[in-house]
Amino acid sequence: MSEVFIDGKRYEFEGEHYLLQFILDQGLEVPFFCYHPSMSIPANCRQCLVKVGTPVKDKETGEYELDENGERKIRWFPKFQTSCGTKISDGMVVLTQESSDEVARAQKDNLEFILINHPLDCPICDQAGECPLQIQTYKYGPEGSRFEVQKVHKPKRVQLGPRVTLDAERCINCTRCVRFTQEISETDQLTIVSRGDKNYPMTAPNEEFDDPYSLNTVDICPVGALTATDFRFKARVWEMDQTPSIDITNGKGCNIDLWTRDNEVLRITPRHNEDVNDYWMPDAGREAYHLFNDNRVSKPSIKLDGDNQAQTSWNNAIETFAEVLEENDPQDFVVVGTPHASVEENFALNKFFNLLGASNAMFTPHIIPGNGDGFLITDDQAPNTTGCRLIDIDEVPKDGLQSEIQNAKVVIILTDDLVGRDALSAEDFKEPFTISLATNHTDTTKNSDLVIPITCVAEHAASYVNVDGRIQRSLPAKETKYTNRRLNLEMSESRLDRFGTNFDNWVSEENKVDCLPLWDFLNRLGDRLGLDYHYNHSRDIFEEVSDRFETLNGVSYERMDEEQGVQLSLGQQEKVKQD
Amino acid sequence: MAQDWKSFEPLLIPDIPNLEKIEVYEENGGYEALKKVLNDQEEWSRENVINEVKQANIRGRGGAGFNAGLKWSFMPEPDGGPRYLACNGDESEPGTFKDRKIFEYNPHLFIEGALIAAYAMAVDTIYVYIRGEYISWVEMLRKAVDEAYDRGYLGDDILGKGIDIDLNITYGAGAYICGEETAMLESLEGKRGYPRTKPPFPAQKGLWNRPTTINNIETLSNVPLVINNGADWYSNIGAEEHPGPVLYGISGHVNRPGVYEYPTGVPVMDLINEVAGGIRGGKKLKAIIPGGSSTPVLRADQLEGVSMNADSLRDAGSMMGTAGMVVMDEDTDMVDVLWRIAHFYHHESCGQCTPCREGTGWLEKVLIKIKNNEGEIKDLDLLLDLTTQMEGRTICALADAAAWPVRHTINRFRDEFEARCKKSVHAVA
Repeated sequence: MSEVFIDGKRYEFEGEHYLLQFILDQGLEVPFFCYHPSMSIPANCRQCLVKVGTPVKDKETGEYELDENGERKIRWFPKFQTSCGTKISDGMVVLTQESSDEVARAQKDNLEFILINHPLDCPICDQAGECPLQIQTYKYGPEGSRFEVQKVHKPKRVQLGPRVTLDAERCINCTRCVRFTQEISETDQLTIVSRGDKNYPMTAPNEEFDDPYSLNTVDICPVGALTATDFRFKARVWEMDQTPSIDITNGKGCNIDLWTRDNEVLRITPRHNEDVNDYWMPDAGREAYHLFNDNRVSKPSIKLDGDNQAQTSWNNAIETFAEVLEENDPQDFVVVGTPHASVEENFALNKFFNLLGASNAMFTPHIIPGNGDGFLITDDQAPNTTGCRLIDIDEVPKDGLQSEIQNAKVVIILTDDLVGRDALSAEDFKEPFTISLATNHTDTTKNSDLVIPITCVAEHAASYVNVDGRIQRSLPAKETKYTNRRLNLEMSESRLDRFGTNFDNWVSEENKVDCLPLWDFLNRLGDRLGLDYHYNHSRDIFEEVSDRFETLNGVSYERMDEEQGVQLSLGQQEKVKQD
Repeated sequence: MAQDWKSFEPLLIPDIPNLEKIEVYEENGGYEALKKVLNDQEEWSRENVINEVKQANIRGRGGAGFNAGLKWSFMPEPDGGPRYLACNGDESEPGTFKDRKIFEYNPHLFIEGALIAAYAMAVDTIYVYIRGEYISWVEMLRKAVDEAYDRGYLGDDILGKGIDIDLNITYGAGAYICGEETAMLESLEGKRGYPRTKPPFPAQKGLWNRPTTINNIETLSNVPLVINNGADWYSNIGAEEHPGPVLYGISGHVNRPGVYEYPTGVPVMDLINEVAGGIRGGKKLKAIIPGGSSTPVLRADQLEGVSMNADSLRDAGSMMGTAGMVVMDEDTDMVDVLWRIAHFYHHESCGQCTPCREGTGWLEKVLIKIKNNEGEIKDLDLLLDLTTQMEGRTICALADAAAWPVRHTINRFRDEFEARCKKSVHAVA
């Protein structure tokens, strides 16, 4: 076991470590900007300077030489070292800003340099509140500035690509974005142009920064130089809730955070999970926030004469639904589950209709071969294909589904735009009575006879099994008309949520969708039909699922939370289908 | 030693007409050193060549003054993969214009030196990196290289001795930073000229992550001299610890500016008064910058007994650098001089490291303020403070090169700077 002394305290280590990462791993801190644990180390911001020395060894005996006090003699490096790129060695002595005034001064000097050409426009900068430059300036920076001459002016509001906006004046040239496109997304779309203090990141002339992962550069930008065109000026970070969730736009199940304010999801950012997505996610997944806010089915609708739908009451919707079920033979029901919904929803739906005597639910995978990139974008367009297979929802190909429906009297479709993705056509909806349990208005809901609004991933706790067989879960981020952030211990509260009242102007009822979790709606429908069916929480459903299916034995919400998802050992059947 | 410089016969750029033509070069003993080495590869094993050069103590002429043979010995043992020699002809430091003389008047000497170096380090490919503004010199060298290929000095199976070495000429786009050795490697690889962090050193991971040695053009041109005449002969030329012939580039307020070849260790005053014909218009000497703009300025009164070698200049408070001496007469405004130097480094900082990117600009802007009679005394202290904030905190030495002239010019001409600040439109603090 080797040892290293940081600020006088002894730490043990084995193997090869870079000093900065080692310090951070110990829960200690050294300020830095350009370093990123998943990318190469350019050591260009020069912020993480520390003083480093190595013990002097007697050449003959190999023993440490001691000074007059009996302490090891230390040979100090003549210059400060950037801790990010310094490998630790046995006996190394490190002084950080915590124990050395010299180091603290050097770091302060560096921050002074960084700030001289940085526009101090924090009050209008989106990064404020989550800005490494702002935070580290408060902690380690100089008070005021000695810079009394003119700042450098550079391009502002540059649309680098469809999704990313550059303010070159704010840029501190850490090159994280450039390295991201070189090393992670491998599109090489960005480089630093110009020279010296005129430097800034840019694409090649007439090139667009349309990297499918471009928005990750916004996350890793340590200042407000790169901002999401979509999110700019929308919200201050401290006004928002941050809720852990799962990307539902493809099969990878990137770990994400949903950022909400007043029950609107305003942005989606990746959440670090080494086993799934590291620090990254595709841009497409971030744009999913529209799905959670816009075009939502709110209040049930029913088809009247012709093709017109009209909103109706929950009572009427439940009554109509129940009547249709009662009037028809359960053998004539077709229950369509979906890889676009969670394990719990598929299970709850299937169980409900099994109790009624209908045959097993079926689903059609939503896979576009060749769409994936081998990184975080998958062929699979749905988050839970593996989950549907695991809980024995019958997998049918597109045309199989179509022929099933042609013979059915009642079709129940769990939120899946089968028409939109060409699995079914509007024609297929002419004959049977079609009921959509849906989150958003789609071509499928438009053609349905009854539309029941259900909660989306941003509104409920539910689990999804990704293409690699990892089960992960979401937490509710948005209130519905019937939930209350303060009563739901799983929901996070921002300052505004905590201290606001309904009379404050940032609280708006309109953003709460009039919908129910699927299981809650089925509870009510079951009550009306006199069915022995009741769940209090999606957790109850999952407990039943994990008891019933061997692959999921022993898996719980708690384990998913603690272990950032649980890797399942897939059975042969799921694996074969996987390929 | 210093006294007999007058009788010195130039070795690097001897006065032989048309020496740039390969026939003339051969007639005058050209490529003999290469033949000597290749014809007797036992006597002149790779190790022996390196030792000879090491013993001759050719100190790098690019400015750092590192023993060339020692540098060569850092190359790891060949492993069958490619190995490179990168020749640095990017001379861009203000006051430095010596390598182009070699390209123009004696290119084959350099080619021969590079070939011997390549042989000694088992290098298969030589790259010559020349600054973009030197396009005519690129053409001159290209012609010489073509001739050398035609005569079998370059390419496969050189002189039938089973050695294959290729030489490629590249040029930059005019960035000073590309003369920094690792930035030059990046530029050679077709990338933006950003200096690399060390370790790994180029000998371990250089061009395309392969072992690479970087030598200055003038340094390599000294190699055939050592092989032809022996290390002892060479190390007896000029100053003891810094031997050999040197191309002195003298510019500024002298009657005959130009590049002159003499041994190291010529007294500074002799160079000015005798070699360069004295100060223009009979003016008095005010100061010199001895070896390119980054080396600290020396006042005339600091020059007594100082000669052009590393030790003497260090004792005087400056550096040998590239031996490109800028001479300034009594009418020179040191504030203007310093501003112009600061402007250069501000313009040329690559912008990779914070202290250099921001510091060089800040230095220049404060100096403009002083130059425009808007300075205050506190600005001088700020400038000095900034130099400590920059020095030694960056990847390469450009920040140091930018900081030294500011620190030393202000310290050595403080009166002049203070006087300018006192004339300022601002009240004197």
